[in-house]
Amino acid sequence: MSSAEDDRVAANVAQWTKTNREFTDADAERQWRDPKIYWGEFDVRDEWLGDVAGLDVVELGAGTAYFSAKLARAGARPVAVDPTAAQLATARRLQQETDLEFQLVEAPAERVPLPDASFDLAVSEYGASLWADPERWLAEAARVLRPGGRLFFLTMSTLAHLCTPDEDQQPIGNNLVRPQFAAWETRWDGYLGAEFHLSHGDWIRLLRANGFRIDALHELQAPPEAKTHEYYFLISADWARRWPGEDLWECTKTR
Amino acid sequence: MHEDSITANVAEWTEANAEHTDQSAERAWAHPGILWGVFAIPEEQIGALPDSVDGLDVVELGCGTAYFGAWLAKRGARVTGVDPTPAQLETARRMMAATGLEFPLVEAPAEQVPLPDASFDLAVSEYGASLWADPYTWVREAARLLRPGGRLVFLTNSTLVYLTAPEDENEQVGTELLRDMFGMYRIRWEGAVGIEYHLSHGDWIALLRENGFEVEALHEPRPQPGAVDPSYYDFVTVEWAGKWPAEEIWVARKT
Repeated sequence: MSSAEDDRVAANVAQWTKTNREFTDADAERQWRDPKIYWGEFDVRDEWLGDVAGLDVVELGAGTAYFSAKLARAGARPVAVDPTAAQLATARRLQQETDLEFQLVEAPAERVPLPDASFDLAVSEYGASLWADPERWLAEAARVLRPGGRLFFLTMSTLAHLCTPDEDQQPIGNNLVRPQFAAWETRWDGYLGAEFHLSHGDWIRLLRANGFRIDALHELQAPPEAKTHEYYFLISADWARRWPGEDLWECTKTR
Repeated sequence: MHEDSITANVAEWTEANAEHTDQSAERAWAHPGILWGVFAIPEEQIGALPDSVDGLDVVELGCGTAYFGAWLAKRGARVTGVDPTPAQLETARRMMAATGLEFPLVEAPAEQVPLPDASFDLAVSEYGASLWADPYTWVREAARLLRPGGRLVFLTNSTLVYLTAPEDENEQVGTELLRDMFGMYRIRWEGAVGIEYHLSHGDWIALLRENGFEVEALHEPRPQPGAVDPSYYDFVTVEWAGKWPAEEIWVARKT
């Protein structure tokens, strides 16, 4: 890894150690015990993964691994990868409490210590998809997938990013406040971590370059009953009923 | 659903031809390069078309005065121009007589093209069917007309232009999101005769996939340094388009 990458991974580990203390540790049990699979902050029910029973799944940027836990309940064999030790400790605690055991790997999605062509499905729900270098983690996802394997990742929509104010903790509004023609890597004042925000055209180019076919871009709409998230409140439910706050990409590795 | 928009758009483009496209056709036909969109971005900078079009059977859907088809014909393509507006095809015929560059013109809407199945290698639309024909019908027609392995390349307004354009068609796009993205499809701007069709990126991908296309690229072009504000199609400025893509070019391959 380059030292810039080391620094960025360290920054994100610091951020998620803090977030785990503030929120994700306490929230993990609810998520682990609920077998229903949701995408994103507004709990959009999954209707795209299909039957995952028997699939080898890798989750990239798993955090407390609740998404892997749900897939394990559905019969998949997940391996959860995350660089933040504190979140993996939470995952281990929940594994003991729920008797749902699967492998946890402490590593950044830019450098996954798992063999080539060993998974049928790679997922990232607000994980590597937002906090890892896309040129590096997509290459890793392509490497660890078998031919015909699928990749699903959810991240903040390009549009929501363009409407995100610079000021810390300011909700996303109805104005374009930052250019789309800009560097992918974004650092925010008052936030330790580093994020990557790509245009749809750039995502398609990178996915194609890594041998993926684009099957779908699901632009998620907050359901009528959804409320603004108590901790991740930058995108309000009202906003996300008018414009997609989150993009879910669905792809297949073809070569 | 689309019969009313065909009639409305023939009226719109008969008027636009009298105002602008008839008199600008000579300059457009004479241009040595291939240019995209209102900022005349050279194809060499984008790379949306096949490296060579020499010998390819090409259909242009919504060709207007057929200047784009003329550029491809000069490079050895066997072009057929399809457009529903007699006045624009009349201008195209005048240009053919003046330049000696002859190719077939067909008076028809892109929703119903009277040409045989699997007879083209490339279907193009630069602000043609891509914006003024019903996508759920014209994309199906493009798929029907193309041979397996054939490519569809089309340019239209970006989603961001659709979201930020004032209702009054004579005003320029700004930074405020003025309409919802969920439900975007068909719109008649205030003061306009014609009816436009706009889809979100997710809907374009779904529609292309349903019609047997593999998505190869979404180009989001940025005007070159030194580009000037468009004079007739003045909905957007160079300054705006330097920050956000005003146009998008999709490239898809029929499998």
